[in-house]
Formats: sequence, structure tokens, C-alpha cells
Amino acid sequence: MNYRELAVCYNCLSDFTMAKNPLIHLEHLTKYYGAMRVLDDVSLEIGSGVTGLLGPNGAGKSTLIKVLLGLVRFSNGSGEVLGFSLRREARNIRANVGYMVEDDSYLAGISGVEMVRFVARLSGLPSIEGLRRAHEILDFCGIEQERYRNVETYSTGMRQKLKFAQAIVHDPPLLVLDEPTSGLDPEERERMLSRIRVLANHGKAVLLSTHILPDVQTVCDDVVIIVNGRIRLVEKLEVLSRPASPAYQVRVIGQPDALISRIQQENIEVTVAESGVITLPTSDETVVKRVWKWADEVEVGIRSLVPAKNSLEQIFLDAVREGKSANT
Amino acid sequence: MPIHDLGYRGWKGKLSPYAMRWWVIATNGIKIAWRSFWLRRMLLLAWAPALTMGLGFFLYEQYRDVFEDPQTAMLLDGFGRAVSILPNADSVVDGMQEARRLPLLERQAALADLRHDVWALLLLTFFRYPQGVLMVLIVGLIAPPLISSDLRTRAFLFYFSRPITHGEYILGKAAVVWCYLMMITMVPSLVLYVFGVLLSPDLSVVYDTWDLPIRIIIASAILLIPTTALALMFSSLTSESRFAGYAWFSVWALGWVAYLILTVATTNIDRPMRSGRFAVESHSIDIQEIVEEQPIVEGWTEVSLIHMLWKVEGYVFGLEEDVSDVLPSAVILLLLTFFAIYVLQRRVSAPTRV
Repeated sequence: MNYRELAVCYNCLSDFTMAKNPLIHLEHLTKYYGAMRVLDDVSLEIGSGVTGLLGPNGAGKSTLIKVLLGLVRFSNGSGEVLGFSLRREARNIRANVGYMVEDDSYLAGISGVEMVRFVARLSGLPSIEGLRRAHEILDFCGIEQERYRNVETYSTGMRQKLKFAQAIVHDPPLLVLDEPTSGLDPEERERMLSRIRVLANHGKAVLLSTHILPDVQTVCDDVVIIVNGRIRLVEKLEVLSRPASPAYQVRVIGQPDALISRIQQENIEVTVAESGVITLPTSDETVVKRVWKWADEVEVGIRSLVPAKNSLEQIFLDAVREGKSANT
Repeated sequence: MPIHDLGYRGWKGKLSPYAMRWWVIATNGIKIAWRSFWLRRMLLLAWAPALTMGLGFFLYEQYRDVFEDPQTAMLLDGFGRAVSILPNADSVVDGMQEARRLPLLERQAALADLRHDVWALLLLTFFRYPQGVLMVLIVGLIAPPLISSDLRTRAFLFYFSRPITHGEYILGKAAVVWCYLMMITMVPSLVLYVFGVLLSPDLSVVYDTWDLPIRIIIASAILLIPTTALALMFSSLTSESRFAGYAWFSVWALGWVAYLILTVATTNIDRPMRSGRFAVESHSIDIQEIVEEQPIVEGWTEVSLIHMLWKVEGYVFGLEEDVSDVLPSAVILLLLTFFAIYVLQRRVSAPTRV
């Protein structure tokens, strides 16, 4: 059964998002605004799970999202979302995608619950069912009694949660979230990310566009980096995080100097980051065990000793740099 | 966290067809507009003229037998004066005056012949004066924030990220205005018509006047479509609804003032000067005499929206018979509607174009 067939039984879609067919499939997509090429020969396949869409400002992320929703027409190429053609079936795509806008937007003159109900009805839910579902989703999003207040009185964080609620109210199989954690305090940010993870566990596919790299590292399974309208990198986060050569990273409580000296006495070369993280270029577990002993000898407390991972920030910066140099 | 919170749950159910999504926008807009205290008052006020017209129907249908009464003659004179500015009003009033002098049976036959025109005249009076003015006020209350508030709060993407087209969005917003305008034009007019039928001696009046409900619907459409398109266009041009409101009222007020100035000026120019007496002793001229001597020059209808609407409505009710006289107004209204819809479509699609 493909997604087109699934769309007939729309509600079954979420049960099938783990299918092998790509949910988003783009081929040589190009988009011009006047003479400016904002999407340049974009070919991309995105499957289930949470995919982080990264890129510097003006890279073309928002345009790519609008193209995926059929809101803007592209100049060349072709594509499908959930098996629906981008050119001919944009309406079906929008019926099956939940989109959380980046802007601080809301519907004036109504309460939170009325707004979510209204959006549910726009998505096709019957009136009473829309109200029931709106309450259910607002519970999930942590909007309690505030739901009866006029949306215009909401704080930025509340509006962010409300935008998230309206995106998922119709239970779409694919979610496109544009900066879902911006404007949230650390605690709310954590909750928002956990909600995204819950949705992913329910079989939803999520495309997460964000500038906040730790968010990507927390919830994403895959990463797409777009620079100057070109896709620079599509990879699993797990693969990206794996260092080129095996290594371990040690974080200590307090000053690491004593431990570094002690390790160096054993003729082991270490690198130390500005943050004080010590990297041991080895996969030998006996060495790792001995590090605990050396730390004990020099009375340094170890906070963590884990296999090294590549920094997403570094990967991102490398991709952006590569993208820019390729253009010049 | 609520005690009943069960985390995320999926939803299964039947979705409504795409074709009805505009209705959701419309009902939401109607509900929000209804919260306005002033709108509710205005709607109440808008039904008062219908009661007056109802009295007209009542008098015409119930007092035919006492048409020879001097009081009835006075009422007819008053009515004649009130509607004298309407097209074909003179002949209708003259016909009624003549019928007064006929014997009962002939009078009844003559009045039955006049019924269609009298009803049409009453309905046109209702459409033109009270409802024409109230239409401007009510649309001025409802329409300005309809699109401008979506611009201000950047709500466009909430709509267009759903299976909604730009056309459906506009249709939904227009339906909000149509709903309230129909409540003050089409609905009371149809109620008046039914009231007239119920007061009539027999149901044969339906045969004589079957076209009036259709004319009411067409006249309502003529009132609704250009005005709504114009009001929504203003609303889409700004994120500040008050500016849209100013523009809306200005168009009607300035058009009316321009019409009056030009009409009066032209009438005075056309009036033969009596050896300069007019200029020197204008205060001594009997205004009634001028009006009777000099019919008002009706050449400036096209500068005023309300006068153009009135003219076309007169034609729809069969009281304005000269097509060449009505055509310029009809064409201008049509072009204005197309222009407004074009601008509206461009403005509404602008936020998703870039």
C-alpha cells in the first residue's frame, strides 16, 4: 500500500509512516524569485522519524517548506509528498501535513481553544469533534485554563505551544515544524522536544527546521543541511556523530591539568578542548579503565567518560563553509 | 498537567469535503462579528424600515375599499411626495389617484393592475434609502478587520497551510459580509413580499407578482457583490483596519457629496437666468418653484457609488426602463467589482508568493 492509497483512509497514514517509501521525494527542484535562484537543483528523500533541516539564514529553508506545502510554485523539477504530486495535488498534501509556522502568528479575536477548533474544522474535522479534539490536544501541549483566554493576551511561549497544537490537531502523518522551540524557556523547550519525540514514537514523520543545533541533537534521527539553496548534506545523525577515528572523551570536575599530565606520563597523546574536554585517541578499553585509576591517583573527579562524537556545530559550519566556497 | 491527561492520542474519523471549507471561515467570521454590540444594535435598527414598508403593504391591501376617504387621499399624497424621486413613481401615484375616483369594482380592478408596480416601488424604496445607508454603516463595521487583522497577526499561513485555496479564503470572508447584508436587505424584503401576499384577497397575487422575489434576489446580489468586493479590497490593502474603514466610508461619502455638488451646480447652470435676479435676489426665490420648473439634472450618477447602485436597482425592479441610462452605471459597477477582486486576489496571495 502506498501513501496515495493510504490517503483514502487518511487516519491510517500514521500507522504506515515507518514504511520504506520516502515521505518526501524531490528531484532537481529549482525555484527562482525573479532572477535569484533560491532553490538550486534540490534532490532529496526524507523518510520516517525526525529530520532536522538546518541552514544559515537565507539558505532556502522556508522556501523549501513552502514548496513542500504547495504554497509556492517551483520553477523546475518534480516532487512528491506522501505520494502526492507537488504540482497537481498540493491540496491533498496540505490536508495530510501539519505545519507550525515560524512567525508569531495567531487568529485575532478568539480564545486558544476556539482557534485550535477553528483550525481543526479547516482541516475537515466536524464541529463538535473539532472541539473535543482541540481540548485533547491542548491538554497534550500543556495549555490549561489559559485556553479560554483571548489569544492576543498570550505570551510568546504560550503562542508557540498554541501553534504546535494547531499543527497536530488533525493528527497528520507528517509534521513540518519551523523553529518550534524559539521563544521558549529551557524547561518549556525541553517539554516541546519531548512532545516531538512522543509524536515520532507515534509514527509521525517530523521535519524540524531550526537554528538550535542542540535541539537537533536531542530529537533528530536524520539531518539535512541546506546552504545557498543547495542540499549540502543528508545523513543520519548517528553516522555524522561518529568520529573519523575512534576516541574517548573525558570531562572532569574542576581543573583537568593534573589528569592530563598523568595521562601524558603514559606516553598517550591527548587533545584538550577549550571547554576542558580531554580526547583520548584510542579504542582500547584497557586504557579507558586505567584512566579511572589515574584520575583517582591525582584526585581528579571524572564527570563523564564516553566514546567521542563529532560536534554537530562543527559539521554544520563545515557544510556552510563548503557551500559558500563552492559558490565562489 | 490535567488529571485526565493521556498523552498523545491519534484521531480517526470522517473529514468534511474540501468544497465546504470556506463555510468554516464564513461561520467563524459571522460568529466573531456578532460579538459586536454595535452591530447587533444596527441590525435591530435595520429592521425598523421594514416595518414601515410593511405598513405600506398593509394600507394598500387592506384599505382599498376606503380609497375615497380624504385621509387616504392625504396618505397617498404624502406617499407620492416621498417617492417622487424614484423612477416611474409619478405614474404609479397618478394611477392610484385616478383609481380613487372610480366606482368600487372598477377601482379594485385598477388597483389590482397597479399592484405589481406599487409593491415594486415599496421594495425599491426600502432597498434604496434606509437599507442603502445602513448597508454602508454595517459593512463599515464588519468588513475592515476581516482581512486586515489576518495581515496584522500574520494568520494567513494558518489558512493556507490547510487545504484552502485563496479563492475559498476570499469566499469565506465575503460570505461574512453577505450574511449580514442579506439580513438587512434580502431577508426583510422577502418577508415583506410574503406579508403582502398574506394580506392580499386571494393567492392570484402570486401570479401577478411572482417575479418580485427574483427581482429582490437579483437586487440584493447587485448590492452585495460590488460592495463586498470593494470593502474586502480595502481590508486587504492595510494591516490597520481603521484605515480600511476610513477608505470605505470616504468612498461613499465623497461620491455622494460629489454627486450633490455636480448635480446642483449643473442644475443651476442649466437654469435660464432671469435677468440676473437669481444671482442678486437668490433668497427671494421660491425653491418649490425652481424644482417644479427645472427638473434635476441626473447626469452625474456615475460619480457616486450609491447612486449607481440605486439606478441599477431601479432597473432590476422594473421601474427604470431606459437601458441606455442604466448601462454606464452597470458597466462601472461591474468593472469596479472585477478590479476589486483582482486586487484582493493579488493581496491575499502575496504573503505566500515570497
